Amino acid sequence: MSGVQLDGIIKRYGAVQVVHGVDLNVAEKEFVVLVGPSGCGKSTTLRMIAGLEEISDGEVTIDGRMVNRVAPKDRDVAMVFQNYALYPHLNVADNIAFGLRIRRESKEVIASSIDEVAGILGLTDYLDRRPADLSGGQRQRVAMGRAIVRRPKVFLFDEPLSNLDAKLRTQMRAEIKRLHNRLGVTSIYVTHDQVEAMTLADRIVVMHDGRIEQVGTPMELFMNPVNTFVASFLGSPPMNQVTAKVEKVGSDFVGVFAGNRLPLARLGDLEARVGQDVVVGIRPEYVTPATDGVKDQVRIELDLVETLGSEALLHAMLADAPFVIKADTTTAASKLSDVTGFTIAPELIRIFDGETDLALAGQDRPA
Amino acid sequence: MTNMNLYSPGDKVFVYLCMFLISVFALSTLYPFIYIAAISLSTGFEARAGNVVLTPVDTTLAAYEYVVAQREFWVSYRNTFIYTIGGTITSLLFIIPGAYALSRPHLYGRRFWNLMVAFTMWFNAGLIPFFLNMRDLGLLDSYIGIMLGFAINGFNVILLRNFFEAIPQSFEEAARMDGANEFQVLWKVYMPLSKPAIATVTLFCVVGRWNGFFWAMVLLQDGEKIPLQVYLRQVIAQLSDDEEFTATLLDQAYSVETVTAAIIVASIIPVLIFYPFIQKYFNKGIMLGGVKE
Amino acid sequence: MSDASHIKPATKTAPISRGARIVDVLKRDWQLYVMLLPTIIWLLLFLYKPMYGLQIAFKDYSVFRGIANSPWVGFEHFETLFNNDQFIRAIRNTVVISFWSLLIGFPVPILLALLFNEVLNQKFKKTTQTIVYLPHFISSVIIAGIVIAAFAPSAGIVNTAIRALGGDAIYFLTKPEWFRPIFIGTGIWQEAGFQSIVYLAAIAGVSPTLYESAVVDGASRWQMMWKITIPSILPTIIIMLIIRIGNILEVSFEMIILLYQPATYETADVVNTFIYRQGLQGGQYDLAAAAGLFNAVMAFTLVMAANALSKRYSRTSLW
Repeated sequence: MSGVQLDGIIKRYGAVQVVHGVDLNVAEKEFVVLVGPSGCGKSTTLRMIAGLEEISDGEVTIDGRMVNRVAPKDRDVAMVFQNYALYPHLNVADNIAFGLRIRRESKEVIASSIDEVAGILGLTDYLDRRPADLSGGQRQRVAMGRAIVRRPKVFLFDEPLSNLDAKLRTQMRAEIKRLHNRLGVTSIYVTHDQVEAMTLADRIVVMHDGRIEQVGTPMELFMNPVNTFVASFLGSPPMNQVTAKVEKVGSDFVGVFAGNRLPLARLGDLEARVGQDVVVGIRPEYVTPATDGVKDQVRIELDLVETLGSEALLHAMLADAPFVIKADTTTAASKLSDVTGFTIAPELIRIFDGETDLALAGQDRPA
Repeated sequence: MTNMNLYSPGDKVFVYLCMFLISVFALSTLYPFIYIAAISLSTGFEARAGNVVLTPVDTTLAAYEYVVAQREFWVSYRNTFIYTIGGTITSLLFIIPGAYALSRPHLYGRRFWNLMVAFTMWFNAGLIPFFLNMRDLGLLDSYIGIMLGFAINGFNVILLRNFFEAIPQSFEEAARMDGANEFQVLWKVYMPLSKPAIATVTLFCVVGRWNGFFWAMVLLQDGEKIPLQVYLRQVIAQLSDDEEFTATLLDQAYSVETVTAAIIVASIIPVLIFYPFIQKYFNKGIMLGGVKE
Repeated sequence: MSDASHIKPATKTAPISRGARIVDVLKRDWQLYVMLLPTIIWLLLFLYKPMYGLQIAFKDYSVFRGIANSPWVGFEHFETLFNNDQFIRAIRNTVVISFWSLLIGFPVPILLALLFNEVLNQKFKKTTQTIVYLPHFISSVIIAGIVIAAFAPSAGIVNTAIRALGGDAIYFLTKPEWFRPIFIGTGIWQEAGFQSIVYLAAIAGVSPTLYESAVVDGASRWQMMWKITIPSILPTIIIMLIIRIGNILEVSFEMIILLYQPATYETADVVNTFIYRQGLQGGQYDLAAAAGLFNAVMAFTLVMAANALSKRYSRTSLW
């Protein structure tokens, strides 16, 4: 099992603790993405796995071996850096071969490894070039080539796509995924971009303030965020959150806010919360825009329509807070400006505790 | 704007005025060199009479012939090359690894070691204790004393350290993950990445060594070991007092003035040869050594 | 006070002893220390050991007894120094020469940089820059040689010119009143061009859009120099000024040794040349070391004050 285990990992800088006991099991061949806002400790965690930061407390195990005090080079991991760290004075072939030369591999091994890696990454025609003469995407490939060539047990990626423009990022994202499918090497990938996390990960680890908020497959996290932080971090645009008071009408629950009544699912947990505030989470994609005359719609004040082509974003105000709806343009393009409210199926609403921000029990949907 | 087509007439006049002032300054910089070269190529009589202004009068190579016939001239010339090359190599052997170590954030006691370097720039014991120390170390009248005794200069260390620090940490980290040890990181990654800074420090060392005079004068008594600058000083100071020499002058084409000028020209020539190379780097270097932590 | 207040709060993690930590660090970073060690040893041997030797300033130093075994004499040498007219004169000369060098020499490189900035013809600019930087790379012995030749009483070009204008030859280098102008002028001639690089670099850092918007607003080059260039490089100017003031006791005594003679000691002799004559030529090591210590302490104070000042001004330390 060449997985990676983190056991209560803590990182302290002097008196300041920045990572507070992270536990994580990364299975062999799994692609795990650590995602979170800047300063959440994701990069520090990755660097502790790499051996570039000392581990203040806890244990890191790679392939069944505790590596806390093992030098980075002996951990059998390879890392792709945000700025690629390509040596400007070496050409592509020498950049790729750098690690092999340091490890005194034979000339034949080095030559065949370069050929193989260049073939995989489509760099064969660029082997003689210096990094300065390469495009952003090519540099990115060289950086990956340098990691691949050593055939490590684990790949570590530290925001590898953040220096690329949007189009190239999409393209390289797919390439990284294909590469992983092909090589099947355990990978841990750090990013602040939730789209990268959603598209690349077998499992996503959402981090915040040095702690893990939630671990799960992308769809699990998208559908069943455990708290409002995860709910607002994943998804674009983020989940709308509205504070509502729970009331019971007959055997049904409704959320009441700003003169609106929103039917809620029949959760056992809600019984005890009648009369209390909860946070109602509504994904922009899940609502159906309504025009005048639609019954039981939640009224919004439409403010701005942004058309993106196949879809449109309706920016509105609801209970004095911004509310966003993602609408299809294929059917009702001309009517978007007439939208007066929305309807949503109760089971698509995610309800969080008004004080702890944790999701109420019993509402998870199968991902 | 790279041409003046779009300038107003007033601006054009202003620019020409600037160019005029620069020309005046440049010519007054250049003139003393031309003057000294002209003297070195004139006859002793004309030089002594003050008739040389811009070009050689009664052109002769007599002064140069006299100079190149002096054994001491060649000995001191050779010594200067020894001190310059040997001293610069010595300096780099100390400074490059030292500055690299000081630039590493994870170096234990880093603040203390850096302070130890910086303090030498703020406070030094002065001429006498330094001289007594060199004497106690047995480094008077010694090639090694000159090359080793001035190997490190805090400014150069800090200049190079700052450059190393500015290289993104990920270069070191990538190399370390590839299995490189600290020596390999320095040799294979940081030194190639720091060529301009190393060239600048090398340049400072070379210029300092080539021009070094005071300590060579103080520490070296042996005429076989003195560098060109000390020899030149001796010529200037002694030639005119040397009765034997002055006596030989009457029927010669050279004079104290032309011989001094010839030695000056001879010791400027190597500087002029390397000057284009020097120029390429010092612009960058002064920026590197500029005002920054 | 209760007994409980004496009990230290328990630390959360097991404390690692300092010794164990150092062993750990050495194990990890021993190669770095191998790189650092030569530099540290050199500094100790050649710069810090002489500081230990400074104690002879308070001793009756004899070569045979050595530094450690020479008897203490307290502040005797300092008393001697401050009763010595030559030493007082040397201090005065140091300050006066530095002050005038600063006053006259400081603006020249700024002016040069501003002039260079106006030149659009790159070939002209490069050529003239190459010329004015050159003297910086020439040894002071050579510069002094040229000065001596140019100011020589009969053969020198300066006196040739004076004679041509109908004046009488002046024995410049033996006249105390001429020493300072010649020395300061030589310094400017040698260094002003090179010093302009710092300001040129600062000017190069000014955003071109400032000039472009000024052009659109109809400003002349002269106005742009005053309203954009000079304000933009003012921080550099102030920092350079602070550095110069901090180094005011650092007169280039090498050049003075080369140019002065007993006849001009009156205006030319500075602290370091005084030390050189008393100590290295006269063998009064202890007295000269005392003078050196006095100079070094004053210089250190000035430099520290300058650094503190620039820190306050620029929020960046000079070192």
